[in-house]
Amino acid sequence: MYVHLSWYLALSAILFTVGVVGVIIKRNIISMFMCIELMLNAVNLTFVAFSSSFRDVTGQLFVFIVMTVAAAEAAVGLGIIIAIFRNRESLDVDEANILRL
Amino acid sequence: MNLSLALQIQNVSPDVNLLLILPELIVCTAGVIVMMVDAFARPRQRWMTGGLALVGLVAAMAASFWMWSGWAGPREAFHGMIVLDELRLGFTFIALLVSALTVLVSMVWVEGENLPAGEFHSLLLFATSGMMLMASGGDLVIIFLGLEILSIATYVMAGFRRTDLRSNESSLKYFILGSFSSAFLLYGIALVYGATATRTGLAGTTNIAEIANRLDVSLYPPLLFAGAAMMLVGFGFKIATAPFHVWTPDVYEGAPTPVTAFMAAGPKAAGFASFLRVFVFGFPFVATVASVQGQIHAAWLGALVVLAIITMTIGNVGAIVQNNVKRMLAYSSIAHAGYALVGFVAAGATGDPVFKSEALSSVAFYMLTYAVMNLGAFAVVTLIARSGDRRTDFEDYNGIGFQSPGLAFTLSLFMLSLLGLPLTAGFMGKIMVFRAALNAGYYSLVVIAVLNTAISAYYYLRLIIVMFFRERTTSWSAPRVPASVIVVLIITVLGVFYLGLFPNRVLDAFKTRPPAVMATR
Repeated sequence: MYVHLSWYLALSAILFTVGVVGVIIKRNIISMFMCIELMLNAVNLTFVAFSSSFRDVTGQLFVFIVMTVAAAEAAVGLGIIIAIFRNRESLDVDEANILRL
Repeated sequence: MNLSLALQIQNVSPDVNLLLILPELIVCTAGVIVMMVDAFARPRQRWMTGGLALVGLVAAMAASFWMWSGWAGPREAFHGMIVLDELRLGFTFIALLVSALTVLVSMVWVEGENLPAGEFHSLLLFATSGMMLMASGGDLVIIFLGLEILSIATYVMAGFRRTDLRSNESSLKYFILGSFSSAFLLYGIALVYGATATRTGLAGTTNIAEIANRLDVSLYPPLLFAGAAMMLVGFGFKIATAPFHVWTPDVYEGAPTPVTAFMAAGPKAAGFASFLRVFVFGFPFVATVASVQGQIHAAWLGALVVLAIITMTIGNVGAIVQNNVKRMLAYSSIAHAGYALVGFVAAGATGDPVFKSEALSSVAFYMLTYAVMNLGAFAVVTLIARSGDRRTDFEDYNGIGFQSPGLAFTLSLFMLSLLGLPLTAGFMGKIMVFRAALNAGYYSLVVIAVLNTAISAYYYLRLIIVMFFRERTTSWSAPRVPASVIVVLIITVLGVFYLGLFPNRVLDAFKTRPPAVMATR
């Protein structure tokens, strides 16, 4: 079945937007973090869609790099979240207010 | 199909040139060595890691000087992924200098705070290698990788004081907003990759020089605009320009002071390096305004002019109302990013190679002067803050001028340099950037920048007044100044005067040499 490139692009744009909105409105750190992952995966979808439509591997290589980076980011991010949870016992960003925003 | 496949296979020679990434390799290796030494050394010997880190950084600096003066080989390798030009070398030098000074500032501090020294120094080295890759990348892949190597290491460093809530919060905010902005940058890259496919059937590209060639034959011009805008937002977050600056004061205030010193000088300079490379070289000036390339160039240049104005103004106005010195310096760093953007606009606005190279070198020079005076200022702030960063309010500086005159005078010098007083580095940096903008015809932008400098006098001088003319109400015992920090202060004070009085040598080194000159060298 042939699906035109624009459908993939539209889907990834929607996913990316969902991620952006989620980061902005969610108040739990883990949810915000998952929204960021959603944004990265929306980008991956864009890369793969272009890559397969051009029959060129550059985009797929980029996806591998993004996945590696996302894994490293997840490790560090969860480490930071654990450190903050140990000190505060809460994951609500509204309580992260010692430094004025 | 078969023929083109065969041609493609022939083209896939790796094009490896390890010498071209020698400084990066040295810094990475030093980082790994520091990590291993830290793992196997006895706790008493952990101080060695700082020394090893310094050795690695100095070796990398020597390698980059060698590339600067005696390089005769090809100017790019790995199929254009790594490029060698004066823009790269200038920013590599800044990255190494910032990192070396941060190691010196943090050597004794990290012991005093009971933090793991080896981890800190190896993270610093990895962050440095990321900054260097950001400067040397000729392809969006390398720039993204460098940015992430830098960012991930810096998230950890910001939260390095694990039991301190302020440090946790700083790290968390930096992490969330940093990866948020990376996602924007990445989406921009993906769209540009898709949009640079040509009507003649070539697949998309992420090579910056190649992107510039394909703007007018792009298959999907609207995606090109969207991609450039997304990348602008991503880089805007990284260098803390105005609408995207909200994380800066919180992160800089909460992070341990030596880390703040590093974050304000290093990642910002590296961000400028790749921001410049992507936009000035990837979406370059073109005389025909009606073409796609002309439209996209006009769009990003116009956006940058607005960003520069807002950034300068918000940075300076925000700094006025601060009562915490680290927060004040954070807003000041936003303002300085605005001044550097003035030079960026000048670099983007011209197609003439001489003017362009002058403007590019002025931005690099500006980041160098900012790095020198900023690290000096933060070195003093680290000493005054003491363990746990407890004393960072303006009140803590009341009347220390006559009790610790050495520290107070050096800090005053750095404040005057940040303000841009003649004879100091800050003045020369501003002059160069403003001159480049005047050459490009941006008179009103320069006027706004000069007015902003006048506003900034208020808060820089306020710190000096607080130190010398206020009565001290609480007791004050002068902090012990470790030898390594004395070295930092000597280097930065000399640097402030050297760059302020004799800037020509450095400026010439930062300028792009035309190929003909290279051949005769």
